[in-house]
Amino acid sequence: MKPVLVKGSEAIALGALEAGCRCYFGYPITPQNEIPELMARELPKRGGVFLQAESELAAVNMLLGAVSTGVRAMTSSSSPGISLMAETFSYLAALELPAVIVNVSRGGPGLGGIEASQGDYFQATRGAGHGDYHFLVLSPASIQEAYELTAKAFELSEKYRQPALILTDALLGQMKEPLIPRRLRVREYPKDWALDGARGRPARVLKSLFLGPGELRARNELLKKKYRAMRREARAEVLYAEGAELAVCAFGSLSRIVKEAVEMARKKGYPVAFVRPVTLFPFPEKPFRELALRGVRFLVVELNCGQMVEDVRLSVCGRTEVESLALPPSDLPAPEDIYRRIRRCLRRR
Amino acid sequence: MLKEWAKFKGFSAKNLPKEEPFAPGHRACQGCGEVLALRLALKALGMNVIAISATGCMEIISSPFPYTSWRVPWLHVAFENAAAVASGVEAALRALKRKGRFPRNRRVDVVAFAGDGGTADIGLQALSGALERGHDFVYICLDNEAYMNTGVQRSGCTPYGAMTTTSPPGKKSIGQMTWKKNVPAIAAAHGIPYVATATPAFFLDLMNKVKKAALVEGPAYVHIYSPCPTGWGTKGEDSITLAKLAVETRIFPLYEVIEGKYYITRKITKPKPVEEYLKRQRRFRHLTEEEIRKIQARVDAEYERLLRLAECL
Repeated sequence: MKPVLVKGSEAIALGALEAGCRCYFGYPITPQNEIPELMARELPKRGGVFLQAESELAAVNMLLGAVSTGVRAMTSSSSPGISLMAETFSYLAALELPAVIVNVSRGGPGLGGIEASQGDYFQATRGAGHGDYHFLVLSPASIQEAYELTAKAFELSEKYRQPALILTDALLGQMKEPLIPRRLRVREYPKDWALDGARGRPARVLKSLFLGPGELRARNELLKKKYRAMRREARAEVLYAEGAELAVCAFGSLSRIVKEAVEMARKKGYPVAFVRPVTLFPFPEKPFRELALRGVRFLVVELNCGQMVEDVRLSVCGRTEVESLALPPSDLPAPEDIYRRIRRCLRRR
Repeated sequence: MLKEWAKFKGFSAKNLPKEEPFAPGHRACQGCGEVLALRLALKALGMNVIAISATGCMEIISSPFPYTSWRVPWLHVAFENAAAVASGVEAALRALKRKGRFPRNRRVDVVAFAGDGGTADIGLQALSGALERGHDFVYICLDNEAYMNTGVQRSGCTPYGAMTTTSPPGKKSIGQMTWKKNVPAIAAAHGIPYVATATPAFFLDLMNKVKKAALVEGPAYVHIYSPCPTGWGTKGEDSITLAKLAVETRIFPLYEVIEGKYYITRKITKPKPVEEYLKRQRRFRHLTEEEIRKIQARVDAEYERLLRLAECL
C-alpha cells in the first residue's frame, strides 16, 4: 500500500474513519484543527455527519447523545477545551458509553501555550470530572500508531462500554510522517443497551442517578470491576531490557527523542533499557515491576513537572530508585540533553 | 437621548483624543479590520478602563511574550467567559466604592472584548447573564465572521454561503449553510439601555457609539463588523472599502437601539447590489447567481424589517 504524507491530527481522523466513525462533533482550538477540517470534508461524502458545536461542552454532549444510540462517534479538542468537557466525561463514564475523545494537548495551566506538553497526564489518567471513574487512555508515539490506536480506541471502548481518550500533543499532531493507511479490523460488540426505540421490548434507560439504599455502591463496585478487567489491555514498548541497569521511560511524542538518547547511550556501551507505556490507563505495571525486581533503576522523562513518575513509583513499589527528569513545556529537549542525564545517572553508582 | 449623554458632544476629526490606549507594533495581519476597530474603541474609551478580553486574535496579536500592546489594565480570560469576568470586576468595583475603599466619583469603565465566536457561540450564555443582571459595563463584539485565530472555522456569525475550513463548499454543501446569527437583536431583547452596530469604515460613528455605550448606566452592547483579509480571502488594502460596502449594500446596517427604540444611524436609500460586496471575497467565489439572488432577497427582507422596527418602535 502506498504511504501518504499526513499530519498526526489527520492520521487520527483517518483512523477514526477507518474504524467506521459516523459522526464527529468539534469546536475550533489549536493545535488540533486538522481533525475537524478533515472530518468536515470527508464525513458528508461518506454519509456521515460533521457538526461544529457552539462550545466544547456542547460538542461532547452531542457526542454523548450520538453514542447513546449505538453509533460510532468522536470529538477532539486540546487541553483548555478538554477541561471544559470535564463534566460530561464523568457522565460518559457513569452511563458507560463507548465514546472516543482526542486530546491533542498543549501547555498549561490556563491558556498556557500551543507547544507540545504532557501536562494533561493526570487529567487524562485520573479523570477530569467528578466521581470514581477512569477513561481508557491511549498515547501514540508515531503517526502510524496514531492511526492504528485511534481505530483500536473505538474497538476497546465498545468492548468495555467505556469512554476512551487518545492523549497526544502538539508535536505529534502537527508533524508530518508517512502513513500507510492499511485496512484495519475493528471488532464490533453487541449493543444491547443502545437507545433505538422500544417497540416490542421494555424501554432501555441510561441514567446516572442512584438514590436507593446500596444502589450507588453496587454501581461503583461494578465500574471498579470493569476497570480491573481492563488491566489486560495494558500495553508497553520495552527495548533492550537484557542486562540493563537503568531503564529510561517516556510516553507519546517525547518517547521518540528519549529512544534516540537511549540508543546513543547504548552505542557508547551504557546498559540502558527503554520503556514506553502505550496505554496510560490501565498503566502497564508489569514491565516496570519485572525490571524493578531485577534491580534496574528508572529515569522517567516527561514534558511536565513530573506526573507519570508517580505511576512508575506506584508500579515499582519502593523496590528500586526512580528518578524524574521533568521538563515543563516551552522547549523540547535534544537527545543529547537526555543522554547526558543518562550518563550522570549511571556514573553516580 | 439619554441623560448620561448630556455633556458628551461627540468626537469629530478635530477633537480626537491624542492618547492611544492600544499601542502599535502588535502582530495583527496586514489590513486587519478588527485591530483597527479595537484601537478606535479604546481611543474613544480613554485610559480609565479595565479591559477584559476573551481569547482570540486580538489577545494573541497584542501580547506575545514579553511584549504587550495594552497601555490600560487588561485581564485576559478563557473563551467563554469575558462577560462573566467583566461582571465580577464590575461587582467588585461597586463593592469597593460602597465600602469607601475606592473614590466614589472616580469613573472606571469596565469593557469586555470578544470575537464573534466568543460572543455568538461559546460566550452567549455568559453574555446573556451579564446583560440580564444589569452590570454597568460595555460588551464589544469584534465580528470578523469566523474563528480566524484557529485558522478560519465557521461560527454562528459566519454569513450564509461563506467558505471556511469547517464549512467547505462542494457537492454536498454550498459552504456555510445557516444565516448569520443576529446577536445585536439578542442583546436588545434583554431590554438593556443601549445596543449599537458599527464598522471601522465610519470611524467617528464607531467611536461615538462606543463612548455613548460607556457613558450609559447599565449594560451596553456594541457589535463591530471587522473585515479579515486573511480569513475572507481579500486584499489588505480593501478592508475599509469592504466595510463601507457592507453598509452600502445593507448587509450590515448601522443602527442604535436606545432603551428599546430603534434608530437607523446611516440610512441607505440607494443600496448597491450585494454581488458587488460578495464578488471581492474569495470566501464567496463559489456562489452561483441563484445563491446570490437568495442572499439579496434575504438582505432586502432583513433591512425592511429593521426599517419597520425603527418606524414603530
